[in-house]
Amino acid sequence: MKKLASILTATLALGISTTATAGTLEDVKKRGTLSCGVSTGLAGFSQKDEKGQWSGMDVDVCRAVAAAVLGDASKVSYKPLTAKERFTALQSGEVDVLSRNTTWTHTRDTSLGLNFAGVNYYDGQGFMVSKKIGVKSALELNGAAVCIQAGTTTELNLADYFRANDMEYTAVTFDTSDQTRAGFESGRCDVLTSDQSQLYAIRIGLKNPSDAVVLPEVISKEPLGPVVRQGDDAWFNIVKWSLAALIEAEYLGVTSANAEQMAKSGSPEQQRLLGTTGDSGEKMGLSKDWAKNIVMQVGNYGEIFERNVGMSSPLQIARGLNAQWNKGGILYSNPIR
Amino acid sequence: MSSSSHHTTRVFEPKPSQPAPVTAAGPIAWLRNNLFAGPLNSITTLVIVAFFLWAIPPLLDWLLWSADFSGTTQQDCTSSGACWVFIQAWSQQLFYGSFPDTEIWRINLTLVLLALVLSSPYWLPHHLRNRLDLALLVIFPFVAIAILDGRILGLEYVSTDFWGGFSLNLLLASASIILGMPLGFLWALGRRSNMPMARSISVILIEFFRGVPVLALFFMGSVMLPLFFPEGTNVDKLLRVWIVLTLFMAGYMAEVYRGGFQAIPNGQYEASAALGLSYWQTTLLVILPQVIKVSMPNILATSIMLFKNTTFLLIIGIFEVLSTAQTALTNSNWLGGYATEAYLFVGVVYWICCFGMSRVAANIEKKLDTSHQS
Repeated sequence: MKKLASILTATLALGISTTATAGTLEDVKKRGTLSCGVSTGLAGFSQKDEKGQWSGMDVDVCRAVAAAVLGDASKVSYKPLTAKERFTALQSGEVDVLSRNTTWTHTRDTSLGLNFAGVNYYDGQGFMVSKKIGVKSALELNGAAVCIQAGTTTELNLADYFRANDMEYTAVTFDTSDQTRAGFESGRCDVLTSDQSQLYAIRIGLKNPSDAVVLPEVISKEPLGPVVRQGDDAWFNIVKWSLAALIEAEYLGVTSANAEQMAKSGSPEQQRLLGTTGDSGEKMGLSKDWAKNIVMQVGNYGEIFERNVGMSSPLQIARGLNAQWNKGGILYSNPIR
Repeated sequence: MSSSSHHTTRVFEPKPSQPAPVTAAGPIAWLRNNLFAGPLNSITTLVIVAFFLWAIPPLLDWLLWSADFSGTTQQDCTSSGACWVFIQAWSQQLFYGSFPDTEIWRINLTLVLLALVLSSPYWLPHHLRNRLDLALLVIFPFVAIAILDGRILGLEYVSTDFWGGFSLNLLLASASIILGMPLGFLWALGRRSNMPMARSISVILIEFFRGVPVLALFFMGSVMLPLFFPEGTNVDKLLRVWIVLTLFMAGYMAEVYRGGFQAIPNGQYEASAALGLSYWQTTLLVILPQVIKVSMPNILATSIMLFKNTTFLLIIGIFEVLSTAQTALTNSNWLGGYATEAYLFVGVVYWICCFGMSRVAANIEKKLDTSHQS
């Protein structure tokens, strides 16, 4: 009986794990996997496929950090989190990085005990209209019926924008994005508003995607990025510079295909990024070729974007704000040297 | 006598009876009596038939005739009907979650064990039943965890991140029901106890877990609880949820048993006392069997409720079947709007299981029926 009891306890104990609190970097190295908080399902950002494999913009940030720290992008254990759980999961140490389309706002950065390590996607609220009403700009939307999802900041931004431009609208509110799409499709409203990345996802779901068009105006700022716990600066640096390496690699023209060659014969900047010269890795407690691992296994920012949300994905989102600063966007990585 | 030789015996041969008039028996009479008994009746019938004629053909058309069944990607769904390709492509995720392909036999094994344990009263020899049944039941959840987790048994370790799908709903529900039932019985005993301490603790536990919505409990388990653990300690989310579900089930079962206790006449206690049985002997051998018999319908209703409640796990990001379906809907290769198919599928699977459970329950009730009226 005693033996039985001890076996039962042992089974329960399988669910409890303790980690030394030496520092997140040591913990991750000891555990051998990066625990990364992602969304339970968001087209192009974190999504599961039929085989149970994760992919997306946010997922690739997790993979980049795993490649930098562990040298293997596949050593990530994904923790799907809902919007309500995400900060608790990070604060309690259940995840090492939270990469779950989280908007970087002042309140979150200053009062939740966490740090934003950068921006991996500049999103913003936009409008989608059906082509047949012939609107070219959001400023022509006076008097329109607008489909929105209830209880999001979307509602607030919409009211602000219409008031600021002295226009009127009728709100048609829905509970889920599926219902919002159905409302738009059945003609309950002329305009649908949501974050732009989501507008494209909703658009593909329409019976006739080409009947709808996304307007150019962006009426709110939604910089999305990975988040870490406050108080572990070494780990904060690693996540910050892993993201920076993705962007810098694209800027320098280093891709997953040519990284090996660039490491040998590239420009001084390329060789420094890839660890052939310099000691950028050692300074963070990582291996010399941390950035090379990222680029070789995950790709540079441009490759990630194209694959997940860009033109070679079903979503077909244009680079827009998310292009490099010298290509008309605002993506700018601090130099790695 | 000659006259008698002419006499032939005539046997009475009744004419075959006429069939009843069509107005009194047969299909026409049935129609008249049941569907067209009066003007109001006739109108109702016609309206309902018209509704079926209007609704069923397009429904069948969408469900079957012009639906797509074969293929592997969204592009194979070309017709105007339902896209069952979606369900087919995601079937493994919907049932087994992301469990590695080579390890799926472990889930199957666990489900077979569950079926064996649940049906053990039917196949275990009589003299073993009373001793083994409860033990088998209580050990099952732990054996299941050991098999699925794999570390204790030296199998490949599969972390709970990969568990999911309908099998998770089944296993989680049965594990919580199995442990919640005895726990609830203890709470119910405590509530009837004369010891003030035991009574007040039981009442507080029962009222708390019965009074707080299960959604709120899940949120507490997933959002609040982790903040109370010592730093660096993580209790697996699934384990927390299992504990929450078990306590929730216990709270409800305790009240179900209380109803059962009240139906037991006082004479039963007095008779046991007269026989010199101790408190536990009285409770376990005399009272418990009767309580279970009386409460059977409620026990089953509560179990079915808990089984359905496992879909609430979707709000805390556990990939049970409903949230797997929702995740599938957000995959950028499947954005064609297959929500109807997905939810219909989950609904039908659940309905089949719950209907099956209620049939089994009816069967058990019949077996247990020892009432003296019949």
